[in-house]
Order: sequence, then C-alpha cells, then structure tokens
Amino acid sequence: PCWRVMIALEEKNLKGYNQRLLAFEKMEHKSEEVMKMNPRGQLPAFKHGDKVLNESYAACLYLENQFKSQGNKLIPDCPAELAMMYQRMFEGLTLQQKMADVIYYNWKVPEGERHDSAVKRNRESLTAEIKMWEGYLQKTSGGFLAGKTFSLADVCVYPGICYVFHFGLCEERYPKLAAYYNRLKDRPSIKASGPPTWLENPQGQDMLKDI
Amino acid sequence: MRGQGVSHLSRLELQILGDNTKMGWGLLAPIRSQTVSRSLLYNRRLPHSSFTPYFFQHFQPPSGLTLPSETMAKDMTLLWGSGSPPCWRVMIALEEKNLKGYNHKLLSFDKKEHKSEEVMKMNPRGQLPAFKHGDKVLNESYAACLYLENQFKSQGNKLIPDCPAELAMMYQRMLEGLTLHQKMIDVIACYWKVPEEKRPSSAGEWSSESLTTEIKLWEGYLQKTSGGFLAGKTFSLADVCVYPTIFTIFRFRLCEERYPKLAAYYNRLKDRPSIKASWPPTWLENPRGEDIMKDI
Repeated sequence: PCWRVMIALEEKNLKGYNQRLLAFEKMEHKSEEVMKMNPRGQLPAFKHGDKVLNESYAACLYLENQFKSQGNKLIPDCPAELAMMYQRMFEGLTLQQKMADVIYYNWKVPEGERHDSAVKRNRESLTAEIKMWEGYLQKTSGGFLAGKTFSLADVCVYPGICYVFHFGLCEERYPKLAAYYNRLKDRPSIKASGPPTWLENPQGQDMLKDI
Repeated sequence: MRGQGVSHLSRLELQILGDNTKMGWGLLAPIRSQTVSRSLLYNRRLPHSSFTPYFFQHFQPPSGLTLPSETMAKDMTLLWGSGSPPCWRVMIALEEKNLKGYNHKLLSFDKKEHKSEEVMKMNPRGQLPAFKHGDKVLNESYAACLYLENQFKSQGNKLIPDCPAELAMMYQRMLEGLTLHQKMIDVIACYWKVPEEKRPSSAGEWSSESLTTEIKLWEGYLQKTSGGFLAGKTFSLADVCVYPTIFTIFRFRLCEERYPKLAAYYNRLKDRPSIKASWPPTWLENPRGEDIMKDI
C-alpha cells in the first residue's frame, strides 16, 4: 500500500513531499505520530493540506484526479481500457488479501489456533488467484494490466506482484507475470520508490516457491 | 414514455394498480430466474399479491419514445442477488445516473446460482454482481460504480464532488467502506457457521470487538462531518458504496440508540429514490433480519 502511493506521486511528478520511513518491526506504525494522522494505526498515512487519505487506493485516485494535467496520465481515455483498469485495480485487492493470508499466516494467527488445513487452503486459494492473473496477462495485449498504457491498475497491483516474486514465486511457472514484473522493474517511478529494505536484501524468503 | 415511472399511466390504470408503495416482491419469487424488463421489476406501484406472474410478463407500458439513457443501458447486463451489498451498490449507481432499462437477472445465492454456468461465463470467480457494458466487464462493484460515474458524468446526479476536500473525503470513506464491509461479513459468517441449536440465546457471543471498534469509528465520522453525507454536503460514490453495508448492519439489528448518527444517516437515506428503487426484494418480504448485531 505505501509503495502504491509513492509510485503515484512519482508518476505525477510530485517531488519534495515530506516523508518519514517508519519500521513495522519496531511497531512504529502504532506510534502517537501515526495514530494522530491515522487512528487505525496503519501505513501509509497520507495528507495533502488538511485532506487525509490513509487508504492507498483513495490516495492514488485522488492524486490522479487532482493532478490530471501533470506527469503521466494514469487513467486511460479509451472506455475499454478504463473499464479494464478499474476492474483490475479492485481485483488487485483480492490478490493482496490472498497473498497476505499465506505470507502473514503465522504473524496473524496465534499459535494455538493455527491449522495445517487452513494453511493448505490459503495456499491453494493463492495459487488459483495467481493463475488467474497469469491468464489476464496472456489475454491482454499491450504489456500493461489495462492494455496499452501504464495506469492506476499497474500503480496499485504491481507492488503486490513484485511482492510475490520477492517471496520466491517461480518465474518459469508464470512466464507472463514474470515478464510483466521484470519489464516494469526499471520504470523510473518504480525504481525511484522501490522498498529500501529490499534493495539490501533482494531475495526474500522462498515461502511462495511452490505456489 | 418508458423510463418515467408510472406517470404515463392513466388514472384508471393507477387505481387498478393501487397506491401500495410496497413492491410486490413476494410475487416475484416464482419468476426469480426470469429476465424481466427493469421497469417492471422496480415499478413501485404494483401491489403485493393480487396479480399473477403472468400479469408481470404482459403488462407493458405503451411503447413510445426511447430515452437516450435507455439506449445506453440496453447494452448493460447485471447479474445480481438480493441482499448483497455489492450488487446493491451497482444498482444504486445505475439509478443515480438515470440508466434505466438495462438487462438484469435476479439470481438466488441459496440455490447456488452464483456458481452457475451463466455467471461463470461472465465472472470466472463465480461471484455477484457480474456487470457488463457492451464487452466491458466490471465484476467488481467499486469498479462498476467508478466506471459509471466516469462515463456518464453528465447525466443523472453528479457522484464525484468538485470540491477537493469533499473529493478526498469521498475516496477515503469509499475505501474504508471495504474494511467495514469485511468486518461485518466476518461476524455474519461466524454466526451462520454455528448450527441453529447451538447459537446462544443472548447474542452477546456474537459481539465482535473488531466490528464494534469499526462501527464506533463510523459513528465518529458522521459526528464530525457536517452536511449529512459521508463526504460532506452532497451524496457521492462514498454513499453509493457504503450505505448498503450500513443498511445491512442495521437490518441485523444494530442498536439505533447506541449509534444515533449512523441511525440518522441510515434512516434519512432510506427514502432516497435510487435507494428505494433498488431495495433488495427479499428484504421487503422480510424487513428485519436475525439479531446478529444486537450487542455490537
């Protein structure tokens, strides 16, 4: 979610904004500073003047709406691409959820309540989801999620796709997804905002190796 | 003219139909799986049980001028289920944008019709709503709502405010609405998992801390926002997307006294034309649900 907002800011050429990197491991997302801006104690917490946009999708939609005429256009004019963009954007939330269910299972579920059957179910669900996205990229020509142009769909979903590969998703098994992931890695906005901790440690755990 | 409710009917016809504002949904049960024209389905004047389904199929308003909004809506198809907030969102949006006469089919979750071949063809996820405009597929309710406002900006009611502060608030509340919806679903799912005999008589066990905290947050939002709508002074996509969820929570007996601002919002919007016109049919037969939310 944080990365999405940063990509959007870069795409809209909005540089020089105030920002603070906080550490989840040190529970800084529950600090007073964050709680003041986001009573949910979640990141990102984003403000423009007195307008608070703590939901990453809300921030991205707002930024494109308000800064339409600067930077890159993130909402296509073509109705078919527009529809595809919105559809993939929101399906991206499902992908994120299923990914989190697998990756953060042990972190979310107390030891006594964990079940192998739940782990298996979550993994199967994620596998089905990823296969769906592989299919989407096979069917869509143009190289981006909505079609021929980079859009809010890519802003919102690319971080998640990057994430699954960072956690060991097999590139050979999902060639279209891998191609998308590798192709966009070098996009300026994405390169400029890539998670710093990942740069130090480019290959994370291999939790998703067998998905 | 079609698209103008019942204003085209003669006084005699109106008398025959009666002035019963309760939609004849009980009547629709037998024809649940048939495609009927939207104007019939949402015609509020049709009485409860004195007419047979045959009447529905053969009562047609006189054909005359087709409004432009109907021409556009003709390419739209919505597969939906009664009582599903995501489906309701899309229907409210369609009403607000004056898109009448779209093809639609009411399906039954109970009969697993959302996993039928017809749905799977349009939505491989086997979920409702499944919505199409021409060959553009928008099965995610938020995607459909954003698309409709974007493409039909100039007709019906404006659903995205111009004022940047209200705009930001709208997007923020819209997306927070997904959290509210999820937490509500979690509680309801928990309730239904337990067999009837094992459910405690006092609903205290269903009290969910997570949902309680969430609802308190929304009560707070409505206290702080002046204007009566989630984004401020005007009805917006935030209301389109979140009202169905709030309505559902009250249907399951959330205590109105405990959350007066939310209750006021819920009651005030109940009569908004787009909301009234798209009311879940099964809820008309059965206006109060189980008291799952009683102790939230």
